[in-house]
Amino acid sequence: MKQTRWIVGAALSAGLAGSLAWAQTGPRAWWAPGQGTPLADFAAYANEHGQVGVLNTSGTLDTKGHPFFDAIGTNGRACVTCHQPADGMALSVRTVRERWDATGGADPLFAAVDGMNCPHLPPADPRSHSLLLERGLIRVSLPWPPTNADGTRIDPEFTIEVVRDPSGCNLHGTYGLTSANPSISVFRRPRPVANTKYTTHQGFGVGPFIAKSGLPTATDPATGRPVSMNLMADARAATLAVQAADAAKQHLQVKDALTAAQIARIVEFEGQVFVAQVSSTAAGSLVEPGGPPAFGPRQLAAGDAGVLGNNTTRYVFPMDGKWTRLPRTGSEPENARSAARESIARGHDVFMFRTFWIRDSMHLNTVGLGNPTKRTCATCHGMHMTGMDTANGWMDIGTTNLPWATEVPLNPWNEAKPQMPLFRVTCKAEVKPHPFLGRVIYTQDPGRALISGRCHDVGTIVMQQFRGLAARAPYFSNGSAATLRELVDFYDRRYNIGYSEQEKQDLVNFLGAL
Amino acid sequence: MTMRSEARGVAMLAGWLAAVSVATAQQPMNFVSCPIVRDTASVPCWLAEHEGETYFLTLQTDVSAPVTPPWLGHRVLVEGTVSNEPNICGGKVLKPVRLSVLERDASCNTMLPAEERYNLTFEPPRPPGPSQGRLAFDNAPPAAAPAPIARTTREFVVSYPFDGLVGFNHAGVLGEVLRFARTVNAREIDVVGHRGAVRLSNGQTLVEDATIGKRRAEQVAMLLQGANLKDPNYKVEWRTAAAPATGVDDHLSRRVTITVRPQ
Repeated sequence: MKQTRWIVGAALSAGLAGSLAWAQTGPRAWWAPGQGTPLADFAAYANEHGQVGVLNTSGTLDTKGHPFFDAIGTNGRACVTCHQPADGMALSVRTVRERWDATGGADPLFAAVDGMNCPHLPPADPRSHSLLLERGLIRVSLPWPPTNADGTRIDPEFTIEVVRDPSGCNLHGTYGLTSANPSISVFRRPRPVANTKYTTHQGFGVGPFIAKSGLPTATDPATGRPVSMNLMADARAATLAVQAADAAKQHLQVKDALTAAQIARIVEFEGQVFVAQVSSTAAGSLVEPGGPPAFGPRQLAAGDAGVLGNNTTRYVFPMDGKWTRLPRTGSEPENARSAARESIARGHDVFMFRTFWIRDSMHLNTVGLGNPTKRTCATCHGMHMTGMDTANGWMDIGTTNLPWATEVPLNPWNEAKPQMPLFRVTCKAEVKPHPFLGRVIYTQDPGRALISGRCHDVGTIVMQQFRGLAARAPYFSNGSAATLRELVDFYDRRYNIGYSEQEKQDLVNFLGAL
Repeated sequence: MTMRSEARGVAMLAGWLAAVSVATAQQPMNFVSCPIVRDTASVPCWLAEHEGETYFLTLQTDVSAPVTPPWLGHRVLVEGTVSNEPNICGGKVLKPVRLSVLERDASCNTMLPAEERYNLTFEPPRPPGPSQGRLAFDNAPPAAAPAPIARTTREFVVSYPFDGLVGFNHAGVLGEVLRFARTVNAREIDVVGHRGAVRLSNGQTLVEDATIGKRRAEQVAMLLQGANLKDPNYKVEWRTAAAPATGVDDHLSRRVTITVRPQ
């Protein structure tokens, strides 16, 4: 791939004077492991909604020999393979497809271990990588039954059977549930490695017992302190250091465990990277002086972590009225820009103030709010600046559990086949059945329950941060929403909200500006 | 809202808040029913019907509320006292009231639309959307610096809904036990699980599951140990016999007592 250096004019035009940026051009500015070019203190990358900004608060980073950027494992991958700056330190399906086209599937991204639907499938065949190519999903193999952090075995509250296994992995003799090392394969999106002071905060809601269940909170093995349990889809890694060590083993296939120095460098880097959209195709700069305090990576870097923003004093995403109330006296393009800004502001108000009935959602309706509860998006997505839950943010909104999970309609006229696995979970007689789904639950991904072994956790997924969304489609942990519009449509359907077309478009514009 | 109705609303709200925790000598009303949710122009009201009468249970507020709403799709055990306050949302007000979510029942699915005549006559403690920066019931003045913890034996009580185990509202009391036990370098922790029963207003008695006392005690001990409180000796006991039910304050029997003895 041809690689050239360029100075990001966009950064300057976005009001970020002084931020000279190194980045790469090419189909999607792919960052290859070990390429050794410096990571700029700030760079902006184009996406369908505008540009995402990647801010490195420690200044330009020399990536030569850096364990985040080097292929430190045995399969040619680096951390950066799935955490691409151009994709907001995550991985978009668009980038995946471009890598396939550019390399014929030879890029280490498509490594058999988890870049393939199952390692036993024929390589270099797109059908073997369909989940990655079509939904941006990485295979995550988890031991069954699960174990505690100290290695002791958990006696699960439920049994699990494989109902459907399109990848062939869950029933495979080497990789599946009945293998010598019984494992369950689920397929999940890589999460952004950015804004980690928020995902690892020690603020509101973090204590020795989980506020939603009363169960013990996971602790940092290095300090013994409770953690927010918001890092991964199933909260299985307590800290960035634990996650780095586990990811190196699972995804990079390192021969020896990472050294303490390597982990420290990775964690240090992850703590200084901030990602957010910096410009909107329709609304222009999101980070101009006097703009909304919610926008852009610099505001994120300066923001307060661990703060509940579901209120009218801090706000989840604080906006600025002036930015959204421009006079319509300019040229046609200026007026169009003003209209786009107004739409973003309205989208914020839909997010913050539009009530609807939230019903039958585990770890939301069960935590003292009642079922149903008349609330807003910000009720769950309440963390100031990120829209995550402040603590222990796993919930079941139906993205992976039937009947709400997106499934291919089966009928004689449809040739499409389901791509996702399907499991039947049966809660044991001695435990209370799931309050909303009963004793038998069908799910594409049991989520947190694969770690906790608890019936009530089936299909619960830790919610993701809202920043840099435009750079990393598709959405939800199983990639079931191809676009932000599909994401909004899912909620509209799931909770019978009845958004107007205007409300949907405004929400999409708002989410795309984050 | 006019000034007069505002004043009345504030008074009603103050009364509603105060009565949440203050028992009166009025008529107990214990029954099992389907909960009903009624929308209003503001927050929803939760109601239940029993023997032809509609009772107001609670408002939607937030997790700080002493009474939290039940769940549609489930029956609810109501343990309350009929107050003489004006009806709210068309229901006789039960104060104080305790609610326990019971087994699933798909027929419990009544959502009533907002009607002008049932709109709240007072400002609810918490709007349906974002708050004004505080929890609805977190009105206490800033706490003074905590007094030094005396190194004496201390008992804690964990209260439960009917047939319930540890849930969302127990992190606070368990955290208190943990802090105290660590501070006094606890030598021994006694955990005793109890089994309750409720005398209903129709004369029937509801008894908790026979194993609930055991499960409560074992779970609490396991949670404290899981929070890395492993050094003390644990004595875990339970009562298999349900406490006698009288129809008044029967909820007090649904508990675990934790006695922490310092070194």
